[in-house]
Amino acid sequence: MTGLASTTSAATTTAPAQRGDPSGGEVAASIAEKIRVHAAGLGDVDAERVIAQVQGGIWPGATVGDLRERAIEITAASVASEPTYSKLAARLLSEHIAEETAAEGVASFTDAIGACRDNGLLSDELVAFVEAHGPELDAVIDSAADDRFEYFGLRTVYGRYLLRHPEHRTVLERPQHFMLRVACGLSQSVAEAAELYRLLSQLAYLPSSPTLFNSGTRRPQLSSCFLLDSPKDELDSIYERYSQVARLSKYAGGIGIAWSRVRSRGSLIRGTNGHSNGIVPWLRTLDSSVAAVNQGGRRKGAACVYLATWHADIEEFLELRDNTGSEDRRTHNLNLANWVPDEFMRRVEADADWSLFDPKEVPELVDLWGERFDTAYRRAEAAGKARKTIPARELYGRMMRTLAQTGNGWMTFSDTANRVSNQTADPQNVIHLSNLCTEILEVTSDAETAVCNLGSVNLAEHCTGEGFDFARLEDTVRTAVKFLDRTIDLGFYPTAEAEKANRKWRPIGLGCMGLADVFFKLGLAFDSAEALELSTKIAEHIAVTAYETSAWLAEELGAHPNFNQTRAAEGVLHLDHYRNARITLPERWEAVRGRIGETGLRNSLMVAVAPTATIASIAGCAECIEPVVSNVFKRETLSGEFLQVNRHLIGELKERGLWNETLRQAIVVAEGSIEGIEAIPEDIRLRYRTAWELPQRALIDLAAARTPFIDQAQSLNLFQASPTIGKLSAMYRYAWKQGLKTTYYLRSRPATRINQTTVGAPQPVATATDEEACSLENPESCEACQ
Amino acid sequence: MLLDPGMNLTLRPMKYPDFYEQYRAAIKNTWTVEEVDLASDLADLAKFTPQEQHLIHRLVAFFATGDTIVANNLVLNLYQHVNSPEGRLYLSRQLFEEAVHVQFYLTLLDTYLPDPDERAKAFAAVDNIPSIKRKADFCFKWIDSVFEMRELSGAEDRRAFLLNLICFAACIEGLFFYGAFAYVYWLRSRGLLDGLATGTNWVFRDESCHMNFAFSVVDVVRAEGPELFDDQMRDQVTAMMDEAVECELQFAQDLIGEGMPGMTVNDMQSYLQYVADQRLERLGMPKKFGSENPFPFMALQDVQELTNFFERRPTAYQTAVEGTVDLDEEF
Repeated sequence: MTGLASTTSAATTTAPAQRGDPSGGEVAASIAEKIRVHAAGLGDVDAERVIAQVQGGIWPGATVGDLRERAIEITAASVASEPTYSKLAARLLSEHIAEETAAEGVASFTDAIGACRDNGLLSDELVAFVEAHGPELDAVIDSAADDRFEYFGLRTVYGRYLLRHPEHRTVLERPQHFMLRVACGLSQSVAEAAELYRLLSQLAYLPSSPTLFNSGTRRPQLSSCFLLDSPKDELDSIYERYSQVARLSKYAGGIGIAWSRVRSRGSLIRGTNGHSNGIVPWLRTLDSSVAAVNQGGRRKGAACVYLATWHADIEEFLELRDNTGSEDRRTHNLNLANWVPDEFMRRVEADADWSLFDPKEVPELVDLWGERFDTAYRRAEAAGKARKTIPARELYGRMMRTLAQTGNGWMTFSDTANRVSNQTADPQNVIHLSNLCTEILEVTSDAETAVCNLGSVNLAEHCTGEGFDFARLEDTVRTAVKFLDRTIDLGFYPTAEAEKANRKWRPIGLGCMGLADVFFKLGLAFDSAEALELSTKIAEHIAVTAYETSAWLAEELGAHPNFNQTRAAEGVLHLDHYRNARITLPERWEAVRGRIGETGLRNSLMVAVAPTATIASIAGCAECIEPVVSNVFKRETLSGEFLQVNRHLIGELKERGLWNETLRQAIVVAEGSIEGIEAIPEDIRLRYRTAWELPQRALIDLAAARTPFIDQAQSLNLFQASPTIGKLSAMYRYAWKQGLKTTYYLRSRPATRINQTTVGAPQPVATATDEEACSLENPESCEACQ
Repeated sequence: MLLDPGMNLTLRPMKYPDFYEQYRAAIKNTWTVEEVDLASDLADLAKFTPQEQHLIHRLVAFFATGDTIVANNLVLNLYQHVNSPEGRLYLSRQLFEEAVHVQFYLTLLDTYLPDPDERAKAFAAVDNIPSIKRKADFCFKWIDSVFEMRELSGAEDRRAFLLNLICFAACIEGLFFYGAFAYVYWLRSRGLLDGLATGTNWVFRDESCHMNFAFSVVDVVRAEGPELFDDQMRDQVTAMMDEAVECELQFAQDLIGEGMPGMTVNDMQSYLQYVADQRLERLGMPKKFGSENPFPFMALQDVQELTNFFERRPTAYQTAVEGTVDLDEEF
């Protein structure tokens, strides 16, 4: 080893600051000073440890900025032992951002707007608005608000959301400037901008990423989701859809697209007297097209294809994401979803047969739901039009297999979706699919592409240890609905079909995030009756306030143009479809029903629970309505890997004097599960079960109880560590029975995993001959019976 | 006994069911090279400094031949002596995985090095680039040590076999590859070469399993013949580990030179020693170096991933699923 030591020290002697000698360079002293300053007030942070580690890895030519980056990396990785390190990392990063913008001459909000304007990044309207109100807007900025960020949130904002210089690629605005810029892009007065900015800077509410990316810019595409009807069964229509998908994808929208109208494999093509190759080759082209459009480098394009369960290519469709088999029948970028009619689920229950059809033979099926679908389907069967008939359970089993193998092939229920939707009062208006994240359900047609603008309330921010603040939640919802409605008029629409639909229906999707944090703060187990009651009550308050606000907007600005085609116009509200809805605010519902009867609604749909993956990271809370998957996990994103830790858990363990390095290692070794760690008291273990350990029935029950107050849908992931066809078939049948409109990913875990490198090595395990219980698998080595 | 000469064909009753379980778990994690998207890497490579270019070219050159060497040893030495059909099932599966790795690195090389001459040079690295040649020679030395043996007839033969096995598990897969992975994750932590990192995640997972399997073979052999693992053997393992760390360190000096942001030879040395200690501990021996892991980005590899599907392809799904439709099953 001595030989090695000499060669390595030879390699570093040229460094300006030598290893092991903290005073050996100006940079070393300077970074130490910075770390000490930022660690002030962060009780459990060991600044000297960070300093020693940073100085230990100094390389020749390292600048203070380089070392700050290294310090950030080191502190960010330390959050698993002490969550407060996240704040230190965030402060260091905040300083870095301030220096980077200062180099571009940016200090105040108006400086930032000026710099972005000079580089051609902003809309003329925004620039004019800010020029007219400069000093007032500068005064709105809360300069201390950056300290609310956890590291991962700030990193995400810095890496992906702040506007950058077109050539230098340095940022031209600071995080608070960005939030006020987003607010100004949606506002007509300083008071309005301040109202929205306050919510954003408190991380109490965040609009979806497209609004955060594009508000106030030259191309303000503010919508998250687009739902395209299936191309018609003809070449030109198919290629026209590719073009629409590409344009929508370019501006950061997620795509849902149905493909149920296109003829299946073997169908006759009259024009050439040949036979169709079915939908797979078309979806291959769609796959390549989606991969080619990368949303300006900010995130990869993404699309989900919906196929009706009766389509004759359904079996090939379910194999599109397999990683075996012929590559020319695979699509690795597309997500897949099943658009499942009730009749199929009934036949699965009855263990009956299921018929598959070529849409060319039965073109009417695509636009039918409910009893009219059932009748037409049975008529087509009786007429012998089926291309193939198989046991329903065989197909259902295949669907479950696809879910287990790929997480894809989401189960969404077409009849439930149409039956309760506000948009489907007229039989001409049909919902044909959900969107990329299965929380949007809106009608589509060849001429209309459905659109949705999304935003989510951070429930964690509305909850203290004492309880949930419903009054504050309602204030937030009122502001959120007002601005979501505003985005419909201000947004730039990449296609005419999208603009047309959005202006007629004016749907919005207000959702929530941080539900798991609320349960942690209030000490509720995810599957407790109290949690179900609270979660439902929160959903009801969001819904009733959203309806009241939309009714008020209708009084001020008029109802949406298609209001007369909605069920609300007939006096039927979404919750009326649910006899067992847990209503706690009956007077308010009756009052708002009366107002809607008078002047209508400004928006045809209002509530949708989106997955919130990115904005929950910014807000530092749990994703939407989900339990946590682990108490220690990493997030992999386009901007790198980040360690996340359940700070509620560590807080509780500290309070009880239990938190130490041994326990930390035990939790990492158990992959973030504490269920089997005896040193932790029972009540904590119960409340901090992960998504893998919670009964999935509870997740479905919570979602079902919430459904009456969700007039669109919810992105509900389900979890099975080791899925089997049996478990999945029972679980998805239960979800359908409980009236869920859609489900999202099936999450499962890898069968093998990477060896952990940074916790203690496992000891040699006892082998077969050491100790072996009597086992039928291994009778020979068992001596007990011999 | 596991190392008794012969071609045991008996799977029932099964003597080493744990080997069979490892085989089944491996089957569930099948991946293919076509699933890795290397497109974004090219844009990153275009921005690399000469120093970074040098590092990545050397690294790719190592990858180009590393897995092939492992596969050769598996076929030439391990397969014939591990006399258990379920153990050989695992080794067959491992051989397939090594082939996928070779294919992955071939694809990587073809993508990263557009010039055919450069590609040829990368494959010739075992002969031409001293820092890689040194590592290859280390491997060949241990391959040759048992290559001539048709069967393991006595304690000395078995010790030689154990040393070969430990060398491949602890030093080659468990240290050389772990060193190489660290460079990949270091680049990844700076937002670079996402495609390489994705493939590496999968390779890393496979290699972890290979190492675990090899160690479980070592465990069985030791349990069946405790006298084999004597003090002399311990000294040999320690010396071998020392040499492996030294080989990998001179490779690091070639790759990193005087250091780059967040990656210095000093830190690499601590990391390698830290990993070497873990291998020694796994063999029931005391730590030798007592170093800490200096790389925060490696700590990240120890915990569950949660990928936002907008961002990257989740890597966590299993591929073999069992059971039939049963609407009444508990879930």
